[in-house]
Amino acid sequence: MITAGLTQRFKVAFDPNSQIFSLAGTIRPRSIDEIAESIHALREAIDAVRGVLYIDVKRLIQMNNTAFQAFIRVALDACRERSDLRLIIITSSVVGWTTRMFRHLSTIEPQISVEVYDSMFYPGQSFVEDTSFIPILRAQTKMTWRHERTILPRHGMRPGIAMADICCGIGDFAVLAQKEFQPARIVALDHSRASLAYARTVAADFGVTGIEYTFGDASEMLLEDNQFDFVTCRHSLQIFNQPELLLKELYRIVKPGGRVYITNEKNSHCLGEPRAQSIQWTYNELARLLSHFEMDVELGPKSRRYLADAGFDDILVESFMVTNLDGDPQDFADVIAGWEKMFAAMATRHGETPEFIDRFRQGFRDHIFAALHPKGYAGWPIWAASGRKPL
Amino acid sequence: MGASVNETTETAFEPLLQFDMEMEIFLSDWQHCDHVSSYLARMISHNRTDPVRHSNFFSSALNELLEVSFRGGTTDGKIGLSIYRQGGTERVQLSFPCPPGQARFYREAVSKTRESDAQARYLDAISNDLAPSRESVLLDLAVNYDARLRLDEREAPAITLIVDLPLEGMVS
Ligand SMILES: C[S@@+](CC[C@H](N)C(=O)[O-])C[C@H]1O[C@@H](n2cnc3c(N)ncnc32)[C@H](O)[C@@H]1O
Repeated sequence: MITAGLTQRFKVAFDPNSQIFSLAGTIRPRSIDEIAESIHALREAIDAVRGVLYIDVKRLIQMNNTAFQAFIRVALDACRERSDLRLIIITSSVVGWTTRMFRHLSTIEPQISVEVYDSMFYPGQSFVEDTSFIPILRAQTKMTWRHERTILPRHGMRPGIAMADICCGIGDFAVLAQKEFQPARIVALDHSRASLAYARTVAADFGVTGIEYTFGDASEMLLEDNQFDFVTCRHSLQIFNQPELLLKELYRIVKPGGRVYITNEKNSHCLGEPRAQSIQWTYNELARLLSHFEMDVELGPKSRRYLADAGFDDILVESFMVTNLDGDPQDFADVIAGWEKMFAAMATRHGETPEFIDRFRQGFRDHIFAALHPKGYAGWPIWAASGRKPL
Repeated sequence: MGASVNETTETAFEPLLQFDMEMEIFLSDWQHCDHVSSYLARMISHNRTDPVRHSNFFSSALNELLEVSFRGGTTDGKIGLSIYRQGGTERVQLSFPCPPGQARFYREAVSKTRESDAQARYLDAISNDLAPSRESVLLDLAVNYDARLRLDEREAPAITLIVDLPLEGMVS
């Protein structure tokens, strides 16, 4: 990998195995000479491949015309010289101008095609981005907030800071954080346009201004390095097949000395009385089912290891139990009803038998029964953890 | 075209910010283009629907304009930048001193952006040229950012590029 000089904040890399050449960061040279090495790297990558070369510009944040023209010159010349060569340029739906700029290449040169990368980042994404998930997220945040509002200050939340909530969902958490802690800046990022639209409406309805809702891919964010004092990412590492990629990004955008705060579950530890066994069975099966979608909903207690491996220090981990006694038990019941619906759909998709699905659903219903039972108890445990980016 | 300004649309644009700098200082460091465009883009985008992406998009366009003034400007005088807004459009008004006789080239380049063959010219430029010309940079703005460009020469020898960028609708 070539990392160009200090003044050029960009990276160029070539992976011969996957035949992917990638350009990332901000490339705004005054003259071509400043990027000669990178141009050369593209030429070499083209020489090294047979058939297709993927040119990945998903993480290209800025590129001026000087750089654009220099790189495409190499690509166009190569196509003219080699009729066997195909170039596939991969842009991101997040960075609007790259798609608009690169799309012309397929008009100019039939050997080049341009693909816009969007969604399907990981196997379970379509379920999570489904709009029917919105009311569940709403109720979940309402319940977790009762705990988190007292937990957050221990992890670095305080007034006047710059914070980001990554995978913000419908944005309730950002609104609550804004009201309670008055940070100076809040950026809230998610990859669901529906959730963001909802978030903006909710904020407007409540007269909350100043939250910067943004569409983005958490594993490849447009946000610059070292910008935030506090970065939160709630209930989301556990749904990515590569949580470490996401953590790397969270690490990148937090300032040295700032903290990243994550919450995750261990679904098999959801519990209830009465009907404990049926509940237990279902949540064990749930963890197993979601692992087929490469989601690790058992991640909670692994937070410490993930944070340490990502390079954080001063790691704090605590857990709390959301229960039916926290507030209105009906809220708890509503969340579980939402889970039942969503997870039964996933079980069907995974090809489980009708008998399995009946029994699976029954556990959620028993959890609801426990939550609403006058002497019942129902719990949903969550791990909240944070780490500091070393100075 | 060129210096003729439609007063009714002019008044409807609300000023967002104004920035100026001695040309000598501006020209002392290439990084000024990047820094000024990133900084101002963030300032004016904070109340857009998607501030982060609007800012990224806007910075990209503004940087090209600043680079034009960096490459073509002279040290005597100031670079002046004003940004206005009307609905989903930002107007960038960029003035800088340029060598006598150069205004003509800007006039031509700007007028080409408004002709029906702008896209074809742009494609031709990017498929054949090694480095971007002043003309292809302005065509890039017209083609890729749907920008409308005008030139105001009333403050000669300084020229003013007036560029309307309807980015809000493209971002969200
Ligand atoms: C389980 S929800 C958690 C939402 C919110 N943090 C909460 O606690 O209510 C996961 C969120 O991650 C978002 N998401 C999924 N993939 C993403 C990606 N690649 N980049 C950003 N957000 C993503 C989904 O749209 C969804 O809103």
